[in-house]
Amino acid sequence: MSIRRQCYEWRNVGESNHFTITPPAVAVNDCDDVVLNRYPISAVSYKLGLSSEKIFWKIVPIAPNQVVDIFNGGIGNNLDIPGQLKAYQFIVLDGIAVYPETFNAQVIVNTTRYFQDPDGVPSRLGGVSGRVVPYPIGALSSYPPNPNRAVQLQNSIKDGLQPPIIIKPGDRWSVEVKNNSSSSFPYGTEIQIKRGTDRKVARCYIKYLLIDGADCIVAQRLIDAGWPLTVENLWRYKQDLIKSHLYASMAELPEAIKNARRKV
Amino acid sequence: MAIRKQIYTWEINGDNTSGRLADSPYGTHYPPPGIEHSILYGAYGNVQDGRQTGLVKEDDFIVIESVSCTPGISPYGFRVDSANNLIKWTPNIFVNIIIDTTNYYQDPQNVWSSGVSGFASPYPRQTRDEPYYELWPPIYVLPDQTIDIRYTLFNDLQLSAESGEWENIPDSTMLAAVYVEYTHYDGTDAMMARKLMNLGIPVTVGTVENYRRLLLKSKGLETETFDFYLEAMRSERERRKRERKNQGVATQQDYDGDL
Repeated sequence: MSIRRQCYEWRNVGESNHFTITPPAVAVNDCDDVVLNRYPISAVSYKLGLSSEKIFWKIVPIAPNQVVDIFNGGIGNNLDIPGQLKAYQFIVLDGIAVYPETFNAQVIVNTTRYFQDPDGVPSRLGGVSGRVVPYPIGALSSYPPNPNRAVQLQNSIKDGLQPPIIIKPGDRWSVEVKNNSSSSFPYGTEIQIKRGTDRKVARCYIKYLLIDGADCIVAQRLIDAGWPLTVENLWRYKQDLIKSHLYASMAELPEAIKNARRKV
Repeated sequence: MAIRKQIYTWEINGDNTSGRLADSPYGTHYPPPGIEHSILYGAYGNVQDGRQTGLVKEDDFIVIESVSCTPGISPYGFRVDSANNLIKWTPNIFVNIIIDTTNYYQDPQNVWSSGVSGFASPYPRQTRDEPYYELWPPIYVLPDQTIDIRYTLFNDLQLSAESGEWENIPDSTMLAAVYVEYTHYDGTDAMMARKLMNLGIPVTVGTVENYRRLLLKSKGLETETFDFYLEAMRSERERRKRERKNQGVATQQDYDGDL
């Protein structure tokens, strides 16, 4: 039984297969593009640009118009299985952010895409863009390549997704990012990408409230009654529940019960 | 008896060596990456002197309100000065909260995750930073529970040092940091906090102080205390009944005595 504030973060970072500085020498491209159930371990690469180069930091490029599922897309940190809610779980997804500014993020619940164009078709750009919801707030734009000319990106949706997306027990859900730039991301020469700073790392962040156990039943009651699913409302419902039990215990008993012969 | 806002920070600085394995043996000063370490009793950084675990005493009640850590992902976010000292490092750190054996953060497939990153909840915060992540609702840690805050670094500083990009990591360079903010309810305040939690009322400084005021107000009633509360409850019940009638949402039960 709990209400927990959760977050999940995806990055297009791979991992070297040979995480040691000692021989055997590591081939330049001997890296995994995907790392399951954790984040990749990285380090500054060894003798970059020389024949004895060893790569310990790998940013996986994302092609123009490529769509990547942040849970199971085969790039960066991934999960074993798709996101699916158990029978006693609710998710209230109220925050999403993406970087760089040319990337878009789309939330998918079962077969429905959340963001759509005015004609009712799922967003052709692939959802909300990193210009609207940059991650993190205040991040330097990825373009132009010169960091001195970059601008700081600010969040345009201050309150997050309101109303939030409610994902119900048994629902499958995922988040996709799409590169809407005409060139592969990260931009730059090979050596610039190999020495890439945070400006060259694509990332997506989601924030949600995970309601499980007995609180899931309370959440269902709130939905049935048409109340917004917020922490405050869940608390309020539980308070009322306790209060009504207290009142019930103080209520006058019906005559028949009051006068009934007591049994031991 | 007190309610105290507490701040705990964990930091790790350089050891005045280059950080290479030959100068600083593996695992002696710098935490190995990819493994969780405690900020309370771990083997690295400025942990508490006694390295006690975070056991909440029987007359304590803790409400954790915020966790943050150093932001950044790329190991190439480092900076060196003119003397080739490392003056900035990006640890790629995540921070997690563990109550007894339960991990607070879990990923969408419902298994243990590394926690919240420094991008989502940055520390130290710069003027441009605005955290995305807010620990709401806060976490209650009850008496006799054990709390632990653990960090995981995903950038390997010592392997990076082998690249020869810097010659020294001075002890003035903060390499990674974790920040925790919580409210500590002690003694009778902890009892009141527990009572409020059992009643389903959020435990905040305001609600605990309000509860205390109510208790002080009823002080001196002695044997009449029970009657006082009973009467208070009855009058509240009547008020709610009247309110429901006025709002037109009363049920047959509310009209029982009138019909």
